[in-house]
Amino acid sequence: MSVADVSLRRAGEVPVERAPRFPRKPKGISGRSIAIIVFLTICAAFFCVPLYIIITTSFKTMEQVREGAIFSLPAPFTLDAWWSAWDTACSGIRCDGLKVGFWNSMAILFPSLILSIALSSVTGYALALWNVRWANTFLFVLFICAFVPFQIIMIPLIILSSGLKVYGTIWGIAIVHAVLAMPFLTLVFRNYYKGIPQEIMSAAMMDSGSFWRVFVEIILPMSGNILIVVLILQITSIWNDFLLGLTFGGLGTQPMSVVLANVVITTTGEAAYNENMAAALLTAIPPLFIYFVLGKFFVQGITAGAIKG
Amino acid sequence: MTTRTFAALGAALLLSTAAGHAAELVVYHGWSSPAEVAALNILKSGLEAKGDTWTDLAIPHDSGASVSLVNLVTGGNPPNVFMESNPGVYRDLMSQGLSLDLTPWYNDNGILAHLPDSIQKVIAVDGKIVKVPTALHIDGMVYYNLAVAQDAGVDPHGWADLDAMFADFDKIKAKGYIPLAIGGQQWQVGYLLHALTAAVAGPEIYSGVYGTDPTIETLDSAEFRASLEMLRKFQQNTDEGSVNRDWNVTTNMVITGKALMQIHGDWMKGEWYAAGKKPGVDFGCVNIPGTKALSVTVDAWGLLGGQPEDKTAGELDFASVVLDPSIQADFALAKGSTPVRLDAPAEKLDDCSKEVLGALGDVHKQVPNPHNTADEDWRTAIDIVSFNYWSDPNMTTDAAIEELKEQFDTILG
Repeated sequence: MSVADVSLRRAGEVPVERAPRFPRKPKGISGRSIAIIVFLTICAAFFCVPLYIIITTSFKTMEQVREGAIFSLPAPFTLDAWWSAWDTACSGIRCDGLKVGFWNSMAILFPSLILSIALSSVTGYALALWNVRWANTFLFVLFICAFVPFQIIMIPLIILSSGLKVYGTIWGIAIVHAVLAMPFLTLVFRNYYKGIPQEIMSAAMMDSGSFWRVFVEIILPMSGNILIVVLILQITSIWNDFLLGLTFGGLGTQPMSVVLANVVITTTGEAAYNENMAAALLTAIPPLFIYFVLGKFFVQGITAGAIKG
Repeated sequence: MTTRTFAALGAALLLSTAAGHAAELVVYHGWSSPAEVAALNILKSGLEAKGDTWTDLAIPHDSGASVSLVNLVTGGNPPNVFMESNPGVYRDLMSQGLSLDLTPWYNDNGILAHLPDSIQKVIAVDGKIVKVPTALHIDGMVYYNLAVAQDAGVDPHGWADLDAMFADFDKIKAKGYIPLAIGGQQWQVGYLLHALTAAVAGPEIYSGVYGTDPTIETLDSAEFRASLEMLRKFQQNTDEGSVNRDWNVTTNMVITGKALMQIHGDWMKGEWYAAGKKPGVDFGCVNIPGTKALSVTVDAWGLLGGQPEDKTAGELDFASVVLDPSIQADFALAKGSTPVRLDAPAEKLDDCSKEVLGALGDVHKQVPNPHNTADEDWRTAIDIVSFNYWSDPNMTTDAAIEELKEQFDTILG
């Protein structure tokens, strides 16, 4: 829900940007603005100080980490921890580093994306633009389902997926991702498609009237914005997911987040803090990258329809 | 080694006629740090020498509830071999017909006679032996920096009891060292309390609190009160940075000579070895001064029951690899633990393991870690209350005991 809040706020900003510019009076420094700056600096430090420690520690040697001065700069500066995190860190007795999990995550990401987006976009399209019996009831049920925490239905899902013979496979993870994302994504798609003018649908019905042809040839080409939004939401949530990958992953299909946990978490074993920090940063890079590249489209997509009042 | 290989080959030849006997075993465990991996690889090569294969499944999350293992069982995908100490999991497996009773196997191979008393107690659940012990750790030991001890002019081996230890603290502080480094996390404080209960109050009181059948009267005993008061004394002697500090970071304070010693589980040794330090040269180890009993942690494997014959044969191969005296010694050296067998070849052991095995020869001086015996809710409750007591210097021992009794009534009453 927090994503929606953020996007709502962002959506609110856009019209202001587009409004004609009026010259503003330059403001002097008032007590109020100083207070705001101090507050923002504290907020920024709150996030930046731990980040600073994570980044500097990842470039230190273990000898320096043992000294315990966590704010000191790396001396000597070394990339060893990054290499070992990527290439040789142990997850169980397999010591091939995080790259194993990286490729597993990639292998999980694509089927999960395709499956979840296909399922929910078609459902959203049907609910918004076709006369489906019990459509509102169905929508209400989906809405309720969006609030069911995964942990409650975890064991039943395990039993179901093992009945379907997909437990412990990449497809098992993909199907569960698709099913769990369906309520929220369907609502997003449905609201977006509701905004399509009735005239377009009427014309399309006259021309073809086929459920699938209208969807593929008319509706999909109009869905660029919302697809970007959903893509970003799904990529981040699938990449950052831990519990699904852990529970349904089984042998050799553990995603990067689980491999990261395997590398980092230890109870009675020795801890290589520099390697742990590097491993955490490596795992965070892909979603960050997606945000930087597609972030602009995300705001556009949200404002173009969907959640906009 | 060669004779062992030959023996293994011979055994494999003999058995190969009986069953196909090249089982693929899924091995579930929670180990990932370099020393742990090195130790696992010793088991793996032992298993492969018997013709079986090892498929690794690592999930290092010590939640205490073994959620991942339970999930695997629920999904119909249980591992053949799993590292698990919690007796509740074995009871669940028994009720599903997935537990393998190892009692006949232990008797046939005459292994029990070579295991310390505390280990014999924890490998059985409800009268049946179901666990294969692999590594032994002591929950509370003193590891100290030899150079610091020399500089401060103290000898931890000379302390007759904990009071003698505290009496030396001023001397150590005068030299600018922190006498005792402790990580103030809930689980560390919980471990410290049960290790201190074993050390100060002795085995009877210990099992009255942490055993399978605890009694509320024990909580009122003068001995348990003394243990809590000793915990308070430890808390009063912690350094400033103790709050929520990992034990690893704490050990590094001792390694780098900022502090004299740490009292924690003897897995600390792994961190010393990782820093390239040697026992007897750079660091020393000794049991808690004047200890009445050692609290023993046993890492153990469980084997899956209700399997086809060849899998079961493979699982028993695994058990015999784990409990081989020579492999036990190699394993302990790699992991930094102590062998579970009293007859492991001594020439392979370091000073700290010798100290531990020497003490464990005495059946009256050892108690099992509460994770292996106590009700999980009750154990967690003790952890929480003792950590509140630790964190609030104004909380009296009476209040802590009252709170424990309330918890006892709610959970076990």
